[in-house]
Amino acid sequence: MRSDFIDDAMAASGALIRAIVYTMLALPAVLVIALSFTSGDTMNFPPTGFSLRWYQKAWENELFVTALWTSTYVAVLVAIIALVIGFAGAFAMNRCSFAGKTFLQGLAFSPLIVPAVVLGIGLLQLFVWLGLTQTIYPLIIGHLVLAVPYVVRTILASLSLHDQLLEQAAMNLRAPPLQVIRRITLPLILPGLLSAAIFAFVTSFGNVTVSMFLTYGGNVTLPVQIFAYVDTSYDPLVAAVSSIMIIVTLIVILTIERLIGAERLA
Amino acid sequence: MKHSVLSRRIVNPALLLAPMVLLLAGFLVVPVLGLLRSSFLPGSHLLEGGGFSLQQYIRFFSDSYYSSVLLETFIDGFAVSLICLLVGFPVGYSLARLPPLERRWRTIIAIMPLTLSLVVIVFGWLIVLGRNGVVNSLFISLGIFSSPKQFLFTRPAVLLVLVQQFVPFMILSVMSVVTQIHPVLEQAAANLRANRFTTFRRIIIPLAVPGILVGFNLVFVLSISAFVTPRLVGGARIAMLGSLIYERIMSELNWPSGAAMAFVLFVSGFGFTAAINALIASRLIAGGKRYAV
Repeated sequence: MRSDFIDDAMAASGALIRAIVYTMLALPAVLVIALSFTSGDTMNFPPTGFSLRWYQKAWENELFVTALWTSTYVAVLVAIIALVIGFAGAFAMNRCSFAGKTFLQGLAFSPLIVPAVVLGIGLLQLFVWLGLTQTIYPLIIGHLVLAVPYVVRTILASLSLHDQLLEQAAMNLRAPPLQVIRRITLPLILPGLLSAAIFAFVTSFGNVTVSMFLTYGGNVTLPVQIFAYVDTSYDPLVAAVSSIMIIVTLIVILTIERLIGAERLA
Repeated sequence: MKHSVLSRRIVNPALLLAPMVLLLAGFLVVPVLGLLRSSFLPGSHLLEGGGFSLQQYIRFFSDSYYSSVLLETFIDGFAVSLICLLVGFPVGYSLARLPPLERRWRTIIAIMPLTLSLVVIVFGWLIVLGRNGVVNSLFISLGIFSSPKQFLFTRPAVLLVLVQQFVPFMILSVMSVVTQIHPVLEQAAANLRANRFTTFRRIIIPLAVPGILVGFNLVFVLSISAFVTPRLVGGARIAMLGSLIYERIMSELNWPSGAAMAFVLFVSGFGFTAAINALIASRLIAGGKRYAV
Protein backbone atom coordinates (compact mmCIF):
# COMPACT_ATOMS: atom_id res chain seq x y z
CA MET A 1 0.00 0.00 0.00
CA ARG A 2 1.05 3.55 -0.60
CA SER A 3 1.50 5.51 2.58
CA ASP A 4 -1.85 7.20 3.03
CA PHE A 5 -0.82 9.25 6.00
CA ILE A 6 1.70 11.30 4.03
CA ASP A 7 -0.79 11.76 1.21
CA ASP A 8 -3.48 12.97 3.59
CA ALA A 9 -1.09 15.28 5.42
CA MET A 10 0.05 16.84 2.17
CA ALA A 11 -3.50 17.26 0.89
CA ALA A 12 -4.60 18.85 4.17
CA SER A 13 -1.66 21.26 4.43
CA GLY A 14 -2.07 22.19 0.77
CA ALA A 15 -5.74 22.99 1.29
CA LEU A 16 -4.93 25.02 4.41
CA ILE A 17 -2.20 27.04 2.68
CA ARG A 18 -4.48 27.72 -0.28
CA ALA A 19 -7.26 28.95 2.00
CA ILE A 20 -4.84 31.27 3.82
CA VAL A 21 -3.30 32.62 0.60
CA TYR A 22 -6.64 33.38 -1.09
CA THR A 23 -7.89 35.08 2.09
CA MET A 24 -4.68 37.10 2.35
CA LEU A 25 -4.87 38.15 -1.30
CA ALA A 26 -8.48 39.29 -1.14
CA LEU A 27 -8.49 40.72 2.40
CA PRO A 28 -7.16 44.28 1.87
CA ALA A 29 -9.46 45.04 -1.05
CA VAL A 30 -12.54 43.59 0.66
CA LEU A 31 -11.90 45.53 3.86
CA VAL A 32 -11.26 48.81 2.07
CA ILE A 33 -14.60 48.50 0.32
CA ALA A 34 -16.36 47.48 3.54
CA LEU A 35 -14.98 50.46 5.47
CA SER A 36 -15.69 52.97 2.73
CA PHE A 37 -19.41 52.68 3.54
CA THR A 38 -19.00 53.50 7.22
CA SER A 39 -21.04 56.31 8.66
CA GLY A 40 -18.52 56.89 11.45
CA ASP A 41 -15.53 59.22 11.38
CA THR A 42 -12.79 56.71 12.03
CA MET A 43 -11.20 53.71 10.36
CA ASN A 44 -12.15 51.54 13.33
CA PHE A 45 -13.36 48.07 12.63
CA PRO A 46 -16.16 46.96 12.44
CA PRO A 47 -17.62 49.96 10.56
CA THR A 48 -20.43 51.76 12.30
CA GLY A 49 -23.57 52.03 10.19
CA PHE A 50 -23.94 52.42 6.45
CA SER A 51 -23.68 55.64 4.49
CA LEU A 52 -22.36 57.05 1.26
CA ARG A 53 -21.13 60.21 2.90
CA TRP A 54 -17.43 59.47 2.40
CA TYR A 55 -18.03 59.03 -1.31
CA GLN A 56 -19.76 62.39 -1.31
CA LYS A 57 -16.84 63.93 0.59
CA ALA A 58 -14.38 62.38 -1.84
CA TRP A 59 -16.33 63.83 -4.72
CA GLU A 60 -16.24 67.26 -3.07
CA ASN A 61 -12.50 67.03 -2.36
CA GLU A 62 -10.80 69.00 -5.07
CA LEU A 63 -7.39 67.35 -4.60
CA PHE A 64 -8.71 63.87 -5.20
CA VAL A 65 -11.03 64.81 -8.06
CA THR A 66 -8.26 66.68 -9.88
CA ALA A 67 -5.93 63.73 -9.30
CA LEU A 68 -8.54 61.32 -10.66
CA TRP A 69 -8.80 63.33 -13.87
CA THR A 70 -5.03 63.61 -14.20
CA SER A 71 -4.69 59.85 -13.75
CA THR A 72 -7.42 59.09 -16.25
CA TYR A 73 -6.05 61.52 -18.80
CA VAL A 74 -2.50 60.19 -18.51
CA ALA A 75 -3.63 56.55 -18.54
CA VAL A 76 -5.79 56.97 -21.67
CA LEU A 77 -2.96 58.72 -23.49
CA VAL A 78 -0.46 56.09 -22.38
CA ALA A 79 -2.76 53.27 -23.49
CA ILE A 80 -3.15 54.72 -26.99
CA ILE A 81 0.52 55.56 -27.53
CA ALA A 82 1.78 52.30 -25.99
CA LEU A 83 -0.59 50.34 -28.21
CA VAL A 84 0.72 51.98 -31.38
CA ILE A 85 4.39 51.71 -30.39
CA GLY A 86 3.97 48.21 -29.01
CA PHE A 87 2.02 46.87 -31.96
CA ALA A 88 4.59 48.14 -34.44
CA GLY A 89 7.42 46.64 -32.41
CA ALA A 90 5.69 43.32 -31.77
CA PHE A 91 4.69 42.99 -35.42
CA ALA A 92 8.26 43.52 -36.58
CA MET A 93 9.63 41.13 -33.96
CA ASN A 94 7.10 38.45 -34.83
CA ARG A 95 7.15 38.65 -38.61
CA CYS A 96 10.64 39.69 -39.56
CA SER A 97 14.01 38.20 -38.92
CA PHE A 98 16.87 40.60 -38.42
CA ALA A 99 20.16 40.82 -36.62
CA GLY A 100 20.00 41.62 -32.93
CA LYS A 101 16.45 40.37 -32.48
CA THR A 102 17.18 38.63 -29.18
CA PHE A 103 18.85 41.77 -27.89
CA LEU A 104 15.80 43.82 -28.87
CA GLN A 105 13.45 41.42 -27.12
CA GLY A 106 15.60 41.70 -24.03
CA LEU A 107 15.45 45.48 -24.29
CA ALA A 108 11.68 45.40 -24.75
CA PHE A 109 11.21 43.47 -21.51
CA SER A 110 13.95 45.17 -19.49
CA PRO A 111 11.69 47.79 -17.81
CA LEU A 112 10.27 44.86 -15.86
CA ILE A 113 13.57 44.15 -14.13
CA VAL A 114 14.91 47.65 -13.52
CA PRO A 115 13.86 48.55 -9.95
CA ALA A 116 11.18 51.26 -9.96
CA VAL A 117 13.23 53.47 -7.68
CA VAL A 118 16.18 53.35 -10.10
CA LEU A 119 13.99 54.14 -13.10
CA GLY A 120 12.12 56.84 -11.17
CA ILE A 121 15.13 58.83 -10.02
CA GLY A 122 16.94 58.24 -13.30
CA LEU A 123 14.02 59.75 -15.21
CA LEU A 124 13.67 62.59 -12.72
CA GLN A 125 17.32 63.49 -13.20
CA LEU A 126 16.95 63.38 -16.99
CA PHE A 127 13.88 65.61 -16.92
CA VAL A 128 15.52 68.07 -14.53
CA TRP A 129 18.33 68.28 -17.03
CA LEU A 130 15.88 68.73 -19.93
CA GLY A 131 13.98 71.37 -17.93
CA LEU A 132 10.68 69.52 -18.31
CA THR A 133 9.83 68.75 -14.69
CA GLN A 134 6.97 71.24 -14.55
CA THR A 135 5.09 69.52 -17.38
CA ILE A 136 3.04 66.37 -17.75
CA TYR A 137 5.53 64.73 -20.16
CA PRO A 138 7.62 63.00 -17.47
CA LEU A 139 4.54 61.14 -16.23
CA ILE A 140 3.42 60.10 -19.70
CA ILE A 141 6.88 59.00 -20.78
CA GLY A 142 7.62 57.18 -17.52
CA HIS A 143 4.35 55.26 -17.75
CA LEU A 144 4.98 54.48 -21.42
CA VAL A 145 8.30 52.84 -20.51
CA LEU A 146 6.47 50.72 -17.93
CA ALA A 147 3.53 49.84 -20.18
CA VAL A 148 5.29 49.00 -23.45
CA PRO A 149 6.70 45.61 -22.26
CA TYR A 150 3.22 44.40 -21.29
CA VAL A 151 1.78 45.58 -24.59
CA VAL A 152 4.57 43.96 -26.62
CA ARG A 153 4.21 40.70 -24.73
CA THR A 154 0.43 40.52 -25.06
CA ILE A 155 0.48 41.36 -28.77
CA LEU A 156 3.42 39.02 -29.47
CA ALA A 157 1.42 36.18 -27.93
CA SER A 158 -1.64 37.05 -30.04
CA LEU A 159 0.42 37.30 -33.21
CA SER A 160 2.12 33.97 -32.72
CA LEU A 161 -1.16 32.24 -31.87
CA HIS A 162 -3.15 33.25 -34.91
CA ASP A 163 -2.97 31.46 -38.21
CA GLN A 164 -0.77 33.18 -40.77
CA LEU A 165 -2.30 31.07 -43.55
CA LEU A 166 -5.28 33.41 -43.50
CA GLU A 167 -3.02 36.33 -44.39
CA GLN A 168 -1.34 34.34 -47.12
CA ALA A 169 -4.71 33.34 -48.53
CA ALA A 170 -5.78 36.98 -48.62
CA MET A 171 -2.57 37.90 -50.41
CA ASN A 172 -3.06 35.10 -52.88
CA LEU A 173 -6.35 36.75 -53.66
CA ARG A 174 -4.31 39.84 -54.46
CA ALA A 175 -5.37 41.95 -51.52
CA PRO A 176 -2.90 44.79 -51.02
CA PRO A 177 -0.79 44.39 -47.83
CA LEU A 178 -2.33 47.23 -45.89
CA GLN A 179 -5.77 45.86 -46.62
CA VAL A 180 -4.63 42.45 -45.37
CA ILE A 181 -3.48 44.01 -42.13
CA ARG A 182 -6.68 45.98 -41.76
CA ARG A 183 -9.14 43.27 -42.78
CA ILE A 184 -7.39 40.08 -41.60
CA THR A 185 -4.60 40.61 -39.09
CA LEU A 186 -6.07 43.33 -36.89
CA PRO A 187 -9.54 41.76 -36.52
CA LEU A 188 -7.94 38.40 -35.69
CA ILE A 189 -5.80 39.80 -32.91
CA LEU A 190 -8.38 42.33 -31.73
CA PRO A 191 -8.85 40.69 -28.31
CA GLY A 192 -5.09 40.84 -27.77
CA LEU A 193 -4.96 44.47 -28.88
CA LEU A 194 -7.79 45.49 -26.57
CA SER A 195 -6.25 43.61 -23.66
CA ALA A 196 -2.89 45.23 -24.31
CA ALA A 197 -4.44 48.70 -24.32
CA ILE A 198 -6.42 48.02 -21.16
CA PHE A 199 -3.31 46.61 -19.55
CA ALA A 200 -1.36 49.74 -20.42
CA PHE A 201 -4.21 51.80 -19.00
CA VAL A 202 -4.22 50.02 -15.66
CA THR A 203 -0.41 49.99 -15.43
CA SER A 204 -0.43 53.76 -15.73
CA PHE A 205 -3.57 54.32 -13.68
CA GLY A 206 -2.33 52.40 -10.64
CA ASN A 207 1.38 53.19 -10.70
CA VAL A 208 2.83 54.91 -7.69
CA THR A 209 6.47 53.84 -7.46
CA VAL A 210 7.62 55.67 -10.59
CA SER A 211 4.91 58.37 -10.62
CA MET A 212 6.02 59.59 -7.23
CA PHE A 213 9.24 60.94 -8.70
CA LEU A 214 7.62 62.45 -11.78
CA THR A 215 4.66 64.41 -10.45
CA TYR A 216 4.78 68.06 -9.53
CA GLY A 217 2.34 70.38 -7.78
CA GLY A 218 -0.17 70.66 -10.60
CA ASN A 219 -0.10 67.11 -11.91
CA VAL A 220 -0.50 64.66 -9.07
CA THR A 221 -1.97 61.29 -10.00
CA LEU A 222 -4.54 59.56 -7.83
CA PRO A 223 -2.20 56.90 -6.33
CA VAL A 224 0.40 59.56 -5.47
CA GLN A 225 -2.32 61.67 -3.89
CA ILE A 226 -3.48 58.68 -1.85
CA PHE A 227 0.13 58.04 -0.78
CA ALA A 228 0.60 61.65 0.31
CA TYR A 229 -2.66 61.52 2.25
CA VAL A 230 -2.01 58.16 3.92
CA ASP A 231 1.55 59.20 4.78
CA THR A 232 0.23 61.77 7.23
CA SER A 233 -3.23 60.61 8.30
CA TYR A 234 -5.96 58.32 7.23
CA ASP A 235 -9.71 58.39 7.41
CA PRO A 236 -12.61 56.78 5.51
CA LEU A 237 -12.20 59.37 2.75
CA VAL A 238 -9.21 57.42 1.45
CA ALA A 239 -11.22 54.22 1.72
CA ALA A 240 -13.84 55.68 -0.60
CA VAL A 241 -11.22 56.84 -3.11
CA SER A 242 -9.43 53.49 -2.89
CA SER A 243 -12.70 51.63 -3.44
CA ILE A 244 -13.15 53.51 -6.69
CA MET A 245 -9.68 52.33 -7.75
CA ILE A 246 -10.52 48.74 -6.77
CA ILE A 247 -13.73 48.81 -8.81
CA VAL A 248 -11.92 50.21 -11.86
CA THR A 249 -9.22 47.53 -11.54
CA LEU A 250 -11.77 44.76 -11.12
CA ILE A 251 -13.68 45.87 -14.22
CA VAL A 252 -10.39 45.90 -16.12
CA ILE A 253 -9.42 42.38 -15.00
CA LEU A 254 -12.84 40.98 -15.82
CA THR A 255 -12.76 42.59 -19.26
CA ILE A 256 -9.34 41.18 -20.09
CA GLU A 257 -10.39 37.80 -18.73
CA ARG A 258 -13.35 37.83 -21.14
CA LEU A 259 -11.11 38.83 -24.01
CA ILE A 260 -8.09 36.58 -23.73
CA GLY A 261 -8.44 34.53 -20.54
CA ALA A 262 -7.01 35.36 -17.15
CA GLU A 263 -3.93 33.14 -17.45
CA ARG A 264 -2.36 35.36 -20.05
CA LEU A 265 -2.76 38.46 -17.95
CA ALA A 266 0.47 38.24 -16.08
CA MET B 1 9.40 29.88 -44.18
CA LYS B 2 9.88 31.58 -40.86
CA HIS B 3 8.57 35.03 -41.55
CA SER B 4 5.63 36.01 -43.65
CA VAL B 5 5.64 37.68 -47.02
CA LEU B 6 3.26 40.25 -45.63
CA SER B 7 5.70 42.10 -43.47
CA ARG B 8 8.38 42.40 -46.12
CA ARG B 9 6.01 43.98 -48.55
CA ILE B 10 4.82 46.76 -46.29
CA VAL B 11 7.65 48.50 -44.55
CA ASN B 12 11.11 48.11 -43.32
CA PRO B 13 11.10 46.41 -39.88
CA ALA B 14 13.53 49.06 -38.69
CA LEU B 15 10.81 51.68 -39.14
CA LEU B 16 8.34 49.61 -37.14
CA LEU B 17 10.81 49.06 -34.35
CA ALA B 18 12.15 52.61 -34.25
CA PRO B 19 9.56 54.16 -31.87
CA MET B 20 9.95 51.38 -29.32
CA VAL B 21 13.74 51.40 -29.49
CA LEU B 22 13.89 55.19 -29.24
CA LEU B 23 11.55 55.21 -26.25
CA LEU B 24 13.49 52.57 -24.35
CA ALA B 25 16.92 53.89 -25.31
CA GLY B 26 16.05 57.48 -24.50
CA PHE B 27 14.00 56.96 -21.38
CA LEU B 28 15.29 53.74 -19.89
CA VAL B 29 18.92 53.28 -20.91
CA VAL B 30 19.91 56.97 -20.87
CA PRO B 31 18.39 57.71 -17.42
CA VAL B 32 20.03 54.64 -15.90
CA LEU B 33 23.39 55.62 -17.39
CA GLY B 34 22.87 59.22 -16.27
CA LEU B 35 22.27 58.00 -12.77
CA LEU B 36 25.43 55.93 -12.94
CA ARG B 37 27.33 59.06 -13.92
CA SER B 38 25.89 61.06 -11.00
CA SER B 39 26.88 58.36 -8.56
CA PHE B 40 30.54 59.16 -9.34
CA LEU B 41 30.17 62.86 -8.55
CA PRO B 42 31.88 64.17 -5.46
CA GLY B 43 30.02 66.33 -2.97
CA SER B 44 26.57 65.97 -1.57
CA HIS B 45 24.05 68.13 -3.37
CA LEU B 46 24.35 69.50 -6.80
CA LEU B 47 23.96 67.72 -10.06
CA GLU B 48 25.93 70.43 -11.78
CA GLY B 49 29.64 70.50 -11.75
CA GLY B 50 31.93 67.77 -12.85
CA GLY B 51 34.53 65.59 -11.39
CA PHE B 52 34.87 61.92 -10.88
CA SER B 53 35.29 60.22 -7.58
CA LEU B 54 34.46 57.04 -5.78
CA GLN B 55 33.61 59.05 -2.70
CA GLN B 56 29.93 58.01 -2.56
CA TYR B 57 30.67 54.32 -2.83
CA ILE B 58 33.52 54.49 -0.34
CA ARG B 59 31.30 56.30 2.13
CA PHE B 60 28.52 53.76 1.63
CA PHE B 61 30.69 50.74 2.26
CA SER B 62 32.74 52.22 5.09
CA ASP B 63 29.73 53.30 7.13
CA SER B 64 28.46 50.33 9.11
CA TYR B 65 24.93 51.77 9.18
CA TYR B 66 24.58 51.39 5.41
CA SER B 67 26.11 47.93 5.33
CA SER B 68 23.68 46.81 8.01
CA VAL B 69 20.72 48.26 6.09
CA LEU B 70 21.95 46.57 2.91
CA LEU B 71 22.30 43.26 4.72
CA GLU B 72 18.92 43.67 6.38
CA THR B 73 17.32 44.48 3.02
CA PHE B 74 18.80 41.34 1.49
CA ILE B 75 17.70 39.17 4.40
CA ASP B 76 14.20 40.62 4.13
CA GLY B 77 14.15 40.08 0.37
CA PHE B 78 15.32 36.51 0.78
CA ALA B 79 12.76 35.82 3.51
CA VAL B 80 9.95 37.29 1.40
CA SER B 81 10.98 35.21 -1.62
CA LEU B 82 11.21 32.05 0.46
CA ILE B 83 7.79 32.60 2.08
CA CYS B 84 6.32 33.39 -1.34
CA LEU B 85 7.75 30.11 -2.63
CA LEU B 86 6.41 28.08 0.29
CA VAL B 87 2.89 29.50 0.19
CA GLY B 88 2.75 30.27 -3.53
CA PHE B 89 3.78 26.84 -4.78
CA PRO B 90 0.70 24.93 -3.53
CA VAL B 91 -1.55 27.61 -4.98
CA GLY B 92 0.19 27.72 -8.35
CA TYR B 93 0.26 23.95 -8.54
CA SER B 94 -3.43 23.57 -7.77
CA LEU B 95 -4.34 26.33 -10.25
CA ALA B 96 -2.48 24.47 -12.98
CA ARG B 97 -4.32 21.22 -12.25
CA LEU B 98 -7.82 22.67 -11.79
CA PRO B 99 -10.43 22.50 -14.54
CA PRO B 100 -10.85 25.90 -16.28
CA LEU B 101 -14.19 26.75 -14.70
CA GLU B 102 -12.97 26.40 -11.14
CA ARG B 103 -9.76 28.14 -12.04
CA ARG B 104 -11.43 31.31 -13.24
CA TRP B 105 -12.22 33.15 -9.99
CA ARG B 106 -9.16 31.87 -8.23
CA THR B 107 -6.93 33.26 -10.98
CA ILE B 108 -8.71 36.59 -10.81
CA ILE B 109 -8.09 36.79 -7.04
CA ALA B 110 -4.45 35.84 -7.59
CA ILE B 111 -3.96 38.52 -10.24
CA MET B 112 -5.79 41.29 -8.41
CA PRO B 113 -2.78 42.51 -6.35
CA LEU B 114 -0.69 42.82 -9.53
CA THR B 115 -3.10 45.18 -11.23
CA LEU B 116 -4.41 47.02 -8.19
CA SER B 117 -2.47 50.09 -7.19
CA LEU B 118 0.15 49.42 -4.55
CA VAL B 119 -1.05 52.26 -2.31
CA VAL B 120 -4.53 50.77 -2.16
CA ILE B 121 -3.13 47.41 -1.06
CA VAL B 122 -0.94 49.02 1.58
CA PHE B 123 -3.86 51.12 2.77
CA GLY B 124 -5.93 47.92 3.10
CA TRP B 125 -3.24 46.44 5.31
CA LEU B 126 -3.16 49.56 7.46
CA ILE B 127 -6.84 48.86 8.15
CA VAL B 128 -6.07 45.24 8.99
CA LEU B 129 -3.05 45.84 11.20
CA GLY B 130 -3.76 49.28 12.67
CA ARG B 131 -4.21 49.98 16.36
CA ASN B 132 -7.99 49.94 16.01
CA GLY B 133 -7.77 47.61 13.05
CA VAL B 134 -9.40 44.34 12.21
CA VAL B 135 -6.92 42.03 13.94
CA ASN B 136 -6.87 44.01 17.18
CA SER B 137 -10.63 44.44 17.46
CA LEU B 138 -11.22 40.79 16.57
CA PHE B 139 -8.75 39.50 19.14
CA ILE B 140 -9.92 41.87 21.85
CA SER B 141 -13.57 40.92 21.36
CA LEU B 142 -12.55 37.27 21.53
CA GLY B 143 -10.70 38.02 24.75
CA ILE B 144 -7.29 36.96 23.44
CA PHE B 145 -5.71 40.40 23.82
CA SER B 146 -6.56 42.67 26.71
CA SER B 147 -5.32 45.82 24.99
CA PRO B 148 -4.50 46.65 21.33
CA LYS B 149 -1.11 45.43 20.17
CA GLN B 150 1.28 47.28 17.90
CA PHE B 151 1.54 45.49 14.55
CA LEU B 152 2.31 48.40 12.29
CA PHE B 153 5.86 49.71 12.20
CA THR B 154 7.28 46.24 12.85
CA ARG B 155 9.39 44.17 10.52
CA PRO B 156 7.01 41.14 10.37
CA ALA B 157 4.24 43.48 9.19
CA VAL B 158 6.45 44.79 6.38
CA LEU B 159 7.32 41.22 5.35
CA LEU B 160 3.65 40.17 5.43
CA VAL B 161 2.59 43.03 3.15
CA LEU B 162 5.50 42.41 0.78
CA VAL B 163 4.55 38.72 0.58
CA GLN B 164 0.96 39.59 -0.25
CA GLN B 165 2.07 42.01 -2.97
CA PHE B 166 4.52 39.71 -4.66
CA VAL B 167 3.18 36.18 -4.12
CA PRO B 168 1.10 36.46 -7.34
CA PHE B 169 4.35 36.47 -9.34
CA MET B 170 5.35 33.19 -7.72
CA ILE B 171 1.88 31.68 -8.17
CA LEU B 172 1.81 32.57 -11.86
CA SER B 173 5.31 31.33 -12.65
CA VAL B 174 4.72 28.05 -10.81
CA MET B 175 1.36 27.71 -12.54
CA SER B 176 2.81 28.20 -15.99
CA VAL B 177 5.59 25.65 -15.46
CA VAL B 178 3.36 23.03 -13.82
CA THR B 179 0.90 23.30 -16.71
CA GLN B 180 3.68 21.94 -18.87
CA ILE B 181 4.39 18.94 -16.62
CA HIS B 182 2.23 16.15 -17.95
CA PRO B 183 -0.03 14.56 -15.29
CA VAL B 184 0.94 11.15 -16.74
CA LEU B 185 4.33 11.52 -15.04
CA GLU B 186 2.65 11.80 -11.65
CA GLN B 187 0.43 8.82 -12.40
CA ALA B 188 3.46 6.78 -13.42
CA ALA B 189 5.20 7.66 -10.16
CA ALA B 190 2.09 6.65 -8.23
CA ASN B 191 1.99 3.36 -10.11
CA LEU B 192 5.54 2.77 -8.99
CA ARG B 193 4.29 3.13 -5.43
CA ALA B 194 5.68 6.56 -4.79
CA ASN B 195 3.59 8.48 -2.32
CA ARG B 196 2.67 12.11 -2.98
CA PHE B 197 5.65 13.44 -1.13
CA THR B 198 8.12 11.32 -3.10
CA THR B 199 6.40 12.24 -6.35
CA PHE B 200 6.53 15.84 -5.33
CA ARG B 201 10.19 15.73 -4.38
CA ARG B 202 11.48 13.57 -7.23
CA ILE B 203 9.18 14.51 -10.13
CA ILE B 204 7.42 17.83 -9.64
CA ILE B 205 10.12 19.90 -7.97
CA PRO B 206 12.96 19.06 -10.39
CA LEU B 207 10.74 19.74 -13.40
CA ALA B 208 9.35 22.94 -11.88
CA VAL B 209 12.75 24.44 -11.04
CA PRO B 210 12.78 26.88 -13.99
CA GLY B 211 9.42 28.35 -12.95
CA ILE B 212 10.43 28.45 -9.30
CA LEU B 213 13.61 30.31 -10.18
CA VAL B 214 11.79 32.86 -12.33
CA GLY B 215 9.33 33.51 -9.52
CA PHE B 216 12.01 33.61 -6.85
CA ASN B 217 14.22 36.07 -8.73
CA LEU B 218 11.32 38.34 -9.57
CA VAL B 219 10.05 38.43 -5.99
CA PHE B 220 13.56 38.99 -4.65
CA VAL B 221 14.40 41.89 -6.97
CA LEU B 222 11.02 43.52 -6.34
CA SER B 223 11.25 43.11 -2.55
CA ILE B 224 14.73 44.54 -2.13
CA SER B 225 13.81 47.63 -4.14
CA ALA B 226 10.47 48.19 -2.39
CA PHE B 227 10.13 51.58 -0.78
CA VAL B 228 6.44 52.44 -0.55
CA THR B 229 5.62 49.49 1.70
CA PRO B 230 8.58 49.89 4.11
CA ARG B 231 7.78 53.57 4.40
CA LEU B 232 4.04 53.29 5.04
CA VAL B 233 3.91 49.98 6.93
CA GLY B 234 7.36 50.09 8.52
CA GLY B 235 7.60 53.79 9.27
CA ALA B 236 10.87 55.47 10.10
CA ARG B 237 12.14 52.66 12.30
CA ILE B 238 12.26 49.91 9.68
CA ALA B 239 14.96 50.92 7.22
CA MET B 240 15.15 49.22 3.87
CA LEU B 241 17.51 50.41 1.17
CA GLY B 242 14.68 51.49 -1.14
CA SER B 243 13.14 53.84 1.41
CA LEU B 244 16.60 55.16 2.32
CA ILE B 245 17.23 56.06 -1.34
CA TYR B 246 13.86 57.77 -1.54
CA GLU B 247 14.61 59.85 1.56
CA ARG B 248 18.10 60.69 0.39
CA ILE B 249 16.94 62.06 -2.93
CA MET B 250 13.47 63.44 -2.29
CA SER B 251 14.02 64.92 1.19
CA GLU B 252 17.75 65.58 1.44
CA LEU B 253 18.22 66.24 -2.28
CA ASN B 254 21.57 64.48 -2.06
CA TRP B 255 21.69 63.14 -5.61
CA PRO B 256 25.18 61.67 -5.83
CA SER B 257 24.72 59.67 -2.65
CA GLY B 258 21.21 58.50 -3.60
CA ALA B 259 22.38 57.53 -7.08
CA ALA B 260 25.27 55.50 -5.66
CA MET B 261 22.90 53.71 -3.29
CA ALA B 262 20.50 52.99 -6.14
CA PHE B 263 23.33 51.41 -8.09
CA VAL B 264 24.53 49.35 -5.17
CA LEU B 265 20.97 48.06 -4.90
CA PHE B 266 20.63 47.41 -8.64
CA VAL B 267 23.97 45.64 -9.08
CA SER B 268 23.97 43.64 -5.86
CA GLY B 269 20.40 42.48 -6.50
CA PHE B 270 21.40 41.22 -9.91
CA GLY B 271 24.58 39.65 -8.58
CA PHE B 272 22.67 37.82 -5.89
CA THR B 273 20.01 36.38 -8.21
CA ALA B 274 22.68 35.41 -10.76
CA ALA B 275 24.62 33.59 -8.02
CA ILE B 276 21.53 31.70 -6.89
CA ASN B 277 20.71 30.72 -10.46
CA ALA B 278 24.24 29.50 -11.11
CA LEU B 279 24.28 27.53 -7.87
CA ILE B 280 20.98 25.79 -8.59
CA ALA B 281 21.91 25.14 -12.22
CA SER B 282 25.17 23.45 -11.16
CA ARG B 283 23.30 21.41 -8.55
CA LEU B 284 20.81 20.31 -11.16
CA ILE B 285 23.51 19.30 -13.60
CA ALA B 286 25.35 17.38 -10.88
CA GLY B 287 22.08 15.71 -9.85
CA GLY B 288 21.28 14.89 -13.45
CA LYS B 289 24.66 13.21 -13.89
CA ARG B 290 24.01 11.05 -10.86
CA TYR B 291 20.78 9.73 -12.36
CA ALA B 292 22.10 9.56 -15.88
CA VAL B 293 24.63 6.85 -15.14
